[in-house]
Amino acid sequence: MRQLGLGLAVAAAGFAMALQTARADEELPIGVIAAQSGSFVSAGNTIVGAANLAAQQINDAGGIKVGDKTYKIKLYIRDNRTDVNVTIAAARELVNDIGVKAIWGTETHDFSVSMAKITGPAKVLQFSGNSSLGAVLDDKAVADDGWLHYAFQSEPQEWQRSGSTAKGVLSLLTPQLKSPPKHSVVFVGNDATGQYLSSHYVKALEAEGQKVDLVQYPPDTTDFSPLLTRIKGMKPDIVHFWYNGDSTLTAFPQALKLGVAPSYFLFGVDPGIYQERSLKADVPVTLSCVPVCWGSSPYPEVKQYFEKYFGLGAAKGPQSSVSLLYYDYFFWYAKALEKVGKLDDPDAVVAELLKSDYKGVVSPVPLVFNKHHQVTFATEVCMVEPNTSDQFKCAVEQPPAAPPPGDNGG
Amino acid sequence: MDIFVQQLVNSLSVASVTILIGIGITLIFGLAGIVNFAHGEFLMVGGMATWFMVGAGMNFFVALVLAGLLVGALGFAAERCLFRFTLNRPMNGFIMSIGLSVILQHAVIRVFNEFQKSITDPVGMVWTIGGVDIIAMRAIVVAITAVVVAITYFGISRSRYGMALRASVSDRDTAELMGIPVRRYVTGVFIYGSLLAGIGGALMISLFPITPFTGSVIIIRGFAVSLIGGLGNVGGAVVGGLVLGLVDGLSAGYGYPEWTDAYSLVVMILILVLRPQGLLGGTLGPKAS
Repeated sequence: MRQLGLGLAVAAAGFAMALQTARADEELPIGVIAAQSGSFVSAGNTIVGAANLAAQQINDAGGIKVGDKTYKIKLYIRDNRTDVNVTIAAARELVNDIGVKAIWGTETHDFSVSMAKITGPAKVLQFSGNSSLGAVLDDKAVADDGWLHYAFQSEPQEWQRSGSTAKGVLSLLTPQLKSPPKHSVVFVGNDATGQYLSSHYVKALEAEGQKVDLVQYPPDTTDFSPLLTRIKGMKPDIVHFWYNGDSTLTAFPQALKLGVAPSYFLFGVDPGIYQERSLKADVPVTLSCVPVCWGSSPYPEVKQYFEKYFGLGAAKGPQSSVSLLYYDYFFWYAKALEKVGKLDDPDAVVAELLKSDYKGVVSPVPLVFNKHHQVTFATEVCMVEPNTSDQFKCAVEQPPAAPPPGDNGG
Repeated sequence: MDIFVQQLVNSLSVASVTILIGIGITLIFGLAGIVNFAHGEFLMVGGMATWFMVGAGMNFFVALVLAGLLVGALGFAAERCLFRFTLNRPMNGFIMSIGLSVILQHAVIRVFNEFQKSITDPVGMVWTIGGVDIIAMRAIVVAITAVVVAITYFGISRSRYGMALRASVSDRDTAELMGIPVRRYVTGVFIYGSLLAGIGGALMISLFPITPFTGSVIIIRGFAVSLIGGLGNVGGAVVGGLVLGLVDGLSAGYGYPEWTDAYSLVVMILILVLRPQGLLGGTLGPKAS
């Protein structure tokens, strides 16, 4: 009888411990929709890398304490195959079937807008690192009953990014040239993202006193020599390879061989990749990262972040830094949930995000969402010393205070 | 004037890799009767293999030969294990080849990764003649393409193998009755076309970086070239490649640059409307039985 009592006591204790563990391991379902296949895979994989790292760190630190419960993040990662229809199907599944509380993604601009039409009515928060969301995030859209009330743009507005980039490029290149540059050619892929981004960048360059010609190329171009020969005939002071890092890495070596311009700017090409590819130019070349570089990190926090990010197995690519458009927001969201103390009150979480700030990795200045759910932070621009592949001079450029003339900001 | 001549030189080099992939497609599609949409991925695999071998320290030109052989072997495996079973049902083969192209893309992503790959220019020289820049590696690509075209042309039009192959295309049953091993010839054409894709991939990565998705872009141009020239017609593929190269080069230089692809596809549509058999005539493709 005594043995039976002892056995029952041990069983009860075990059951209690199991219950305790079950309670401690309550899950917070979070969705990630990213291109893990298809043509946007190099950017898509960065979201997954950032999400895995953030979730691991939050869970290892004990999880998220919401009210009297502690939650561990459970990621539901879906491959959108760089296809808008798959994106929509994935968003429906995550929202309706799994019941995620928030979704991170996608990196493809117009896909994010499609997703918002599913996340919005379901009151699921959405964090998308797309500056082109700025075209639709307005007073009406983000109002309490607006269709983008639960959507947040985790990348600065395009006029801000374009402004800081243009300023940084010109200030680094001007001392290197025989005379101040006056004529720029912006060379960009002719897709929805390229058109949106370059429209702001052209205005930003014009605001800096440049005469700007825009030359667009068909997406997926590999042989740029005819187009580059045309640009050479325009006799520009600077050719700005804009927006698509992969296309830039294809076109830039061809431009060097054809001697197209006395200086270049490569958007979205990390110094780490420039070094890895052993690229070398006998003219000044500037680079910028979205938003800060892994190959030449401006702050110790960024350096540590990329060590951990790559340590988890993420590949080093031209767009690895895009992961920083997603990472910090896991911690900020967790902080907002803890503050609200309830998991099922998305309106309170939105309100908390809008009134709070968060000091993350991407910026030494705490991140703040403006009334249109958009953040602001600086852009890193670097210059490569001519005839070297690994000598960089970098500067972190703050965004301008207002859009340039002719840019409505959206 | 310098810029115009430069655009003509550019057009010639633009045409070269397209001609190589066009010849592969025109042989496989026009003579063997197989619509292989994964042919672009064969080219990509050739480029990736070259990148791997050059990265491991191998001379580029040795790697080029090995890449051709490797992709030729891949073609052999694909024909024996897959396409052989669809010879009488070309549409089945076509759909299967789309699946194969996706599988090859993701196999390469799994083995390497999703990022684009490039090699250092194997020659690294630029010749300036009369104000026109000629990139030495591009000139070599043009020369290699010319040699491959000559070998293929004489192989198809003059050799016993070529004549037997053309007889098989004209009347497969009679050719078989005459003792021509048609099935074996189909395999041979598939291997040779695949080998050309491997060489094309190696040449391509010597000029531009490639990604696991490069093949799906270039395949459209390959089919355009083979249809413009006339299916199964090697000379036609050369003419088709040159037409597309010229349209690309001159439209990029003097037209709306963002429409460069559209110009060449409009030319293709016009040619196919006016001359369905292609500029130089061809086999009109596989016949379903």
